[in-house]
Amino acid sequence: MYGGDEVSAIVIDLGSHTCKAGYAGEDAPKAVFPSVVGSIDQMEVDDAANTDTNSGAAMDAKSNAKTPDSDKSKGKRKLYVGSQALGYRRDNMEVISPFKDGIVADWDIVDNIWDHAFRECLLIDPTEHPMLLAEPSSNPQQQREKAAELMFEKYKVPALFLAKNAVLTSFASGRATSLVVDCGGGSTTIAPVHDGYVLQKAVGTSLIGGEFLTDCLLKSLESKGIKIKPRYSFKRKEVRPGDFQPFDVDFPNTTESYRLYSQRVIASDIKDSVCRAPDSPYDESAYANIPMTPYELPDGQTIEIGSDRFKIPDVLFNPTLSQTIPGMESLSEFAPSVRGLSQMVIESINKCDVDIRRELFSSILLAGGTASMQQLKERLEKDLLEESPQAARVKVLASGNTTERRFSVWIGGSILASLGSFQQMWFSKTEYEEHGASYVQRKCP
Amino acid sequence: MANSSSGMAVDDECKLKFLELKAKRIYRFIVFKIEEKIQQVTIEKLGSPEETYDDFSSSLPADECRYAVFDFDFTTDENCQKSKIFFIAWAPETSRVRSKMLYASSKDRFKRELDGIQVELQATDPSEMSIDIIRGRAL
Repeated sequence: MYGGDEVSAIVIDLGSHTCKAGYAGEDAPKAVFPSVVGSIDQMEVDDAANTDTNSGAAMDAKSNAKTPDSDKSKGKRKLYVGSQALGYRRDNMEVISPFKDGIVADWDIVDNIWDHAFRECLLIDPTEHPMLLAEPSSNPQQQREKAAELMFEKYKVPALFLAKNAVLTSFASGRATSLVVDCGGGSTTIAPVHDGYVLQKAVGTSLIGGEFLTDCLLKSLESKGIKIKPRYSFKRKEVRPGDFQPFDVDFPNTTESYRLYSQRVIASDIKDSVCRAPDSPYDESAYANIPMTPYELPDGQTIEIGSDRFKIPDVLFNPTLSQTIPGMESLSEFAPSVRGLSQMVIESINKCDVDIRRELFSSILLAGGTASMQQLKERLEKDLLEESPQAARVKVLASGNTTERRFSVWIGGSILASLGSFQQMWFSKTEYEEHGASYVQRKCP
Repeated sequence: MANSSSGMAVDDECKLKFLELKAKRIYRFIVFKIEEKIQQVTIEKLGSPEETYDDFSSSLPADECRYAVFDFDFTTDENCQKSKIFFIAWAPETSRVRSKMLYASSKDRFKRELDGIQVELQATDPSEMSIDIIRGRAL
């Protein structure tokens, strides 16, 4: 048993797209930054790196005598973590993700992300705070043990807990039984939760999440001749007072992945500002004449977005639609059996015991970053009403508050870790030393 | 043990009163409340056998979570007198997230202490626990 509740715990939800970190007991995470990192091979950069470190956005010098960047040079590459560090373009910097197919493939990156969260965002000493980590609903055992090992051995945390995403979302909405539809950045996960247990066999995932929609939008705009210029590729100069003109700047050593990352940042903002789920399945001809919506790009050019406003979100419901977008035809490669959102929900419920299906249908919780898409909840409810069995009372719930919708997992973890009664539930350092990493299976089932 | 349960303890009085409701039938319903300060689930209200379902539903606060047990008497199609014990997890939409989280994460453990619950409901607004729904679940 871990006995100290006088220091607040730290809650980290490392999602496929964004990492959320903050103090337990607060309403929203203090730090929200990308889960991808910039990486430069040390072989290629030598002198250039030094100048970079100083001018780079990689935090200021107040933290330590040595810059945080130098901490990160591990092995042969240097990693840049955080929105600021990534916002600064560097020669030959690739943007890489720690995840592959939804699970962690590169622990070194995760280690750097945690380190960034502790030392640069939250400014805490990890040896003093219990850590609550949110994990995917079907996280394999070796991944959980690896996380425990890293936390206890490297960060020497006093206590740890691994909580499942879907359970936290479900609890945070007051339900111990529900079907959690988590529309995240990198993927969409459907997980039935019953009395606080995730029904593993019925969990469904698809790689269609916010990022995929962003890519669809990007390609679709490109096919219409609209080129999104990454923020680093131009400079705005004042030609006359009050009149700014963009001038292209050429950086031949910029990597393809960094260019894409920078374009995605912009495209994702376009998506958030103008897109909205259509009330019924997207039909090219019906939307041909809808009014155009203007959007001003960072370089000053104004673009007009028409039917894409509705077409892009509809990809969630009808993934094959993405194949009509030039450059996105690759869908058939990654999974021939990709389903739309409502089919996934029904499939998942049908895999559960007959006795609880009714209850699941009436408490479908929509959460995650993409869940804030306008009209998404209404559309999902409508499609499910049409496709579900007659007797089912379909009810889709989503928090009215966007912050709660987007950070439901983190908020759930934040409250849980701050409960006085929860202090006895932690997996403590002493227990780890006594029983080893595999004990995590017992303490955090 | 379920993942992420809160570790909330249960006051012995809850078990005793529940047994009395079940065996002696001297209560119509019991409303339970979590006292965060003492980290226990405690009894908030006991309903006498004469009280009706409406009395019961009006004793649940509109913007706070509660647990409740209700002893429902009904007559089957074959004209047979029966009763069933309902467990209701009340989590209104308007309650605070903290309260929702607290009740949801403590429910599994609490329910295990009450042996003899026949039907379980979770409700976020009065329509989800209307008398028709109760009757529908009982039959």
